[in-house]
Amino acid sequence: MGILEIKDLHVKLADEDKVILDGLSLIVRPGEVHAIMGPNGSGKSTLSYVLAGREGYEVTGGEVLLDGEDLLAMEPNERAARGVFLAFQYPIEIPGVATMQFLKVALNAQRKARGEPEMSTPEFMRLIRDRAQRLGISPEMLKRPVNVGFSGGEKKRAEILQMAVLEPSMCIMDETDSGLDIDALRIVADGVNGLRSPDRAMIVITHYQRLLEYIVPDRVHVLSQGRIVKSGDKSLALELEERGYADYGRDAA
Amino acid sequence: MNMPIRNTTAEAAYLQAGQAMVVSPARRAAFDRFMASGLPHRRMEDWRWTDLKQLLARPFPPAAPVLTEARTVERLVALSPFEGVPRARLVIADGVYRPELSELPVTAGVSVRLLSDPTPIDADDPLLLLNTAFFTGGLKIEVAAGENVTLPVEIVSVNSGERAESFAPRIEVAIGDGAALTLVETHLGIDGSYVALPLTLAMLGAGARLDRIKVQEDAARAYHLANAHIDLGAEATLRDFTFTIGAAVTRNQGFVTFSGEGSDARVTGSYLLHDRQHCDTRLVIDHAVPRCTSREIFKCVVDEEARGIFQGKVIVRPNAQKTDGKQSSHALLLSPTAEFDAKPELEIFADDVICGHGATAGDLEEDHVFYLRSRGIPEDRARSMLITAFIAEAFDDVTDERLRDGLAARAEGWLDRQRRTADAEGMDSDG
Repeated sequence: MGILEIKDLHVKLADEDKVILDGLSLIVRPGEVHAIMGPNGSGKSTLSYVLAGREGYEVTGGEVLLDGEDLLAMEPNERAARGVFLAFQYPIEIPGVATMQFLKVALNAQRKARGEPEMSTPEFMRLIRDRAQRLGISPEMLKRPVNVGFSGGEKKRAEILQMAVLEPSMCIMDETDSGLDIDALRIVADGVNGLRSPDRAMIVITHYQRLLEYIVPDRVHVLSQGRIVKSGDKSLALELEERGYADYGRDAA
Repeated sequence: MNMPIRNTTAEAAYLQAGQAMVVSPARRAAFDRFMASGLPHRRMEDWRWTDLKQLLARPFPPAAPVLTEARTVERLVALSPFEGVPRARLVIADGVYRPELSELPVTAGVSVRLLSDPTPIDADDPLLLLNTAFFTGGLKIEVAAGENVTLPVEIVSVNSGERAESFAPRIEVAIGDGAALTLVETHLGIDGSYVALPLTLAMLGAGARLDRIKVQEDAARAYHLANAHIDLGAEATLRDFTFTIGAAVTRNQGFVTFSGEGSDARVTGSYLLHDRQHCDTRLVIDHAVPRCTSREIFKCVVDEEARGIFQGKVIVRPNAQKTDGKQSSHALLLSPTAEFDAKPELEIFADDVICGHGATAGDLEEDHVFYLRSRGIPEDRARSMLITAFIAEAFDDVTDERLRDGLAARAEGWLDRQRRTADAEGMDSDG
């Protein structure tokens, strides 16, 4: 399950008259990986935040349906329990909350919301150790407060770890490649590829084609001035790499 | 004569009782000195936020030593956050030491004696003078040189609330050279209105260490007006943590004096305040000698119409070179009507020192709340996790894990109560 339908979505900033998404439409089906590319300021991050339910935006038109239900009417935590996961471009540091405890509370809150039994501590420990090992994350790091003192690469890996533990059906990755060197990028991409499955859809938001060499998308969309102006298969990404965004708006990269 | 023209009702009650008291000349002198200026008030700089002339709105005559029923005392003592933690436990009930309800420390190097008469101290501090004048009883704890007392010693001061009086217990602690003690002071009350006027005096010898944890959960209508005077010898270590949850009005005064070089003091604390509670901490850290380090860190959560105050003063005397003194206060304001005031003061008379201060007050970071919610954690749980994390940092200085767990459980309980109150109010407004 997990069909996401974005229909003619219009979004402005809540406290100023700045339109960011201006008629965006997109359908993502289970198992599909969609890449959204676009220049800075085209609305990529706003799309990810609006889907995750962050405050500060006002939807002025259109709708977003998850399995036919109004996603925008749900609280951020309800969306998470329904399988939506946003890997943040800038993961937030939470002093005083250990990564391990945070993930256990999150996982069990989601399970409870879905009417599933809570996971016991030993069961959870096995799960997180297994997932952490695959991503090269040390047990020591899991004891540290969420993202506090992590390097840029560690933060991105920690986001993917959260994804691997929470097992969402709709993953949105916002510039997961930014700030990563090639080795870190490979680790993150391997982690993501390991999570690809017929039940799980992904939206990979990126400025550069580089990430898509490692996470090969089914569809590529070009976002410009708040709407999708072109869609194609993975070859579109290569085309963009060669020609830049000049054809698609003023804020060419 | 400096006698106020008109006494408040609280002062009149003190005056009447004090004149009738038969006490030692030293206590008589303390009483006269107190009455000369009366209760502190807002025109006194250190008391600008805590005007006791106004706040003590009714008489609380000094308590006569009365033995409160043992069952009542035991019921209150059992409320200690450290029940179940192995420790010695000394009970003071309504200002009177109760040896028959106490469990003395078993370590040979520790002696606990009844304090028959309080040691006079030359100071103008009104709370100190009141404690001396109206002294209801107390204990003297001495730790022999070199003795490392492993089990904490808890002094539980309970107030039954049966009498609207002023209770002035005193603890005097002397820690010998190279000795170490963990002293827990727990103040508990549920009912009634009373004034607790506790005083702790501690002297640390060379190389001595004191871990002092004070928990205050007095009754909701009580007044808690406390003093601690701590003097550090050379190379001594102080870890002092004060946790305030109870009482309508709290004034915590701490005076730490470095008398020997190379000592290290961390004076930390946390308040969790709600309703119209008022808590004012006044610290004076006196770097009288060179090469000492002091840190004051307070992390406070203020909800509803409560008010927190932190006044920290660091004095660096002319010869106290190489002093390293920093203080900070951080307040989390959970309601628009909550208030926090911070007044840092530095009085530096030496030139080769590192001193600084910082203060913050505000709500939780919305980005933090959103991040937790985006992972499936409901908003109220996310908020309480973040508040717990905020307070937990204040507990970091409590090195004994079992004591820290006791404090953390109390903080959790407080947050649960606040959340339930908020839920009930939400339901009221929905209906």
